[in-house]
Amino acid sequence: MACLHDHSCEEHDCSSDWSLYKHVDLSKVSALNEAVSGSVKSVFRAWEQRLNSSEGYLESNEGDPELIVFIPFTSDVKLKSISIVGGADGTSPAKMRAFINRDGIDFSDAQNMQPVQEWDLVENLQGVLEYQTRYSRFQSVGNITLHFPDNFGGDTTQIHYIGLKGEATQLKRDVVATIVYELMPNPSDHKTRAETGGGLSQVE
Amino acid sequence: MVLEATMICIDNSEWMRNGDYSPNRFQAQADAVNLICGAKTQSNPENTVGILTMAGKGVRVLVTPTSDLGKILACMHGLEIGGEMNLAAGIQVAQLALKHRQNKKQQQRIIVFVGSPVKYDKKVLELIGRKLKKNSVALDIVNFGEEDQDKSEKLEALLAAVNNNDSSHIVHVPPGPSALSDVLISTPIFTGDGEGGSGFAAAAAGGVSGFEFGVDPNLDPELALALRVSMEEERARQEAAAKKAAEEAAKQEKGEEQSTSQDTTMTDNVNPETSEPEKKTNDLMDDENALLQQALAMSMDDSSSTVAVRDTDMSDASADDHDLQLALQLSVQDGAVEQSNQTDMNKLLADQSFMSSILASLPGVDPNDPHVKDLLASMQSQSENKEDDKAPKEEEKK
Repeated sequence: MACLHDHSCEEHDCSSDWSLYKHVDLSKVSALNEAVSGSVKSVFRAWEQRLNSSEGYLESNEGDPELIVFIPFTSDVKLKSISIVGGADGTSPAKMRAFINRDGIDFSDAQNMQPVQEWDLVENLQGVLEYQTRYSRFQSVGNITLHFPDNFGGDTTQIHYIGLKGEATQLKRDVVATIVYELMPNPSDHKTRAETGGGLSQVE
Repeated sequence: MVLEATMICIDNSEWMRNGDYSPNRFQAQADAVNLICGAKTQSNPENTVGILTMAGKGVRVLVTPTSDLGKILACMHGLEIGGEMNLAAGIQVAQLALKHRQNKKQQQRIIVFVGSPVKYDKKVLELIGRKLKKNSVALDIVNFGEEDQDKSEKLEALLAAVNNNDSSHIVHVPPGPSALSDVLISTPIFTGDGEGGSGFAAAAAGGVSGFEFGVDPNLDPELALALRVSMEEERARQEAAAKKAAEEAAKQEKGEEQSTSQDTTMTDNVNPETSEPEKKTNDLMDDENALLQQALAMSMDDSSSTVAVRDTDMSDASADDHDLQLALQLSVQDGAVEQSNQTDMNKLLADQSFMSSILASLPGVDPNDPHVKDLLASMQSQSENKEDDKAPKEEEKK
């Protein structure tokens, strides 16, 4: 399920493939068990910047390697594959479980529920590994929750970069735009062109 | 204004019968709970609060998180005291209740009142604390009532395990004259992590308001507005006065033109019967410096340009006199005080010889100048007309 990606990519432009980070609703990204509140927002970057974690990275609390990352998108996306760059010395996550379009998952939920897909990760410090998804299940993803239950033995789990590859559709979920509510029906608001032209039929 | 779902854990164990908080611990706790509910629901209308009891037959949720204050207050009635408090179970049930809150966007918070001794180990409490922190639940602890050797230590350890970025707090309330609720009002439990005293908390504190001018704009908007407007007017006037003082410092070098305009301004001075700070003239009457008094008289006029002009003349006349400068500044700043007492001023101006001497001391003014003489004559007649006014006023003054 993991494919090796040749680092010298002259044939196609890597960065455009991994551009789903632009569709991530960064203000609503959240994580559970992060040591520094808000640090999860720094892991979504452009492909070229994936190794540059000068703005900070996501780290779990001391002695507890579990992490949950909640990623909402600004529109529904089709997710093709995910890339994770972890930390050194066993702080890379070892497993990843994904849940789609569910709000407010916490650790007890994550442990009891069946994920949409699960992966065994390897240490991927250069960010050249990507983990493919079962594409048919990831066709309209409004938000995705990633649960990392384990790491490679380190005290904490560090995630420096999360890359998302796929397509963004223009569809949006749950967005209620301007709706006009009528308390009492007023027929004059609903005249069709035929009615104004005619004149015999009237609604009182 | 944080959007929050709060669960309040009440201690209704046998230890609450004690009367060291008036009327008894349980009642003091109930009052505090009522106040907290009110504060939470008022700070954000979408906040929800739930209540559970920890003692009695077991941990029982009285009301799940709701924004309906009436429902919350109603469930506080008819609570019975008995049994032993189960802190760990109470906190865990509270966490479960918060997990199933309807609005997942709300932050989770637990407020626990610990009035009886804590029988759990420090380790167990720390484990609970870490689990709360992992699920980003904040915890506020109110430590009151029984105080045994380990209780504070255990609760502090629990707080340290939960605390994430100072979102959790602990308050120790020893028994004393002031009510439990009063002590809590000033704590971050009420004020919500330093957002500043909410309007509710300020009103509940009963007069100790964090509002400007000591008036709650909600209660009395017109009064608050009037106070604010008058404050701003005063400030604006003081700024204008300060500007005048700056201008006169800049105009130090002007000479002859200023003195001719001074003649006209002197007549103006007689007529407008406005500000004269009586206290200041009394002080200055003792001062032997005639020029000082004159400066005071000169500054009685309200119009800003003439004041500046006259003040510069005076400073011309006696540039080295520090007292004069001080008086000038004092008089300029105090110019707007409305008083109807002009006897002193009239006396000064009516004194013919006094005026001549002043004029003589001014550079560029020749007392023998026919214009000046005419002016003095007119002033003299005017002051005679005013003698009738003067006499009764002097009697009043005395």
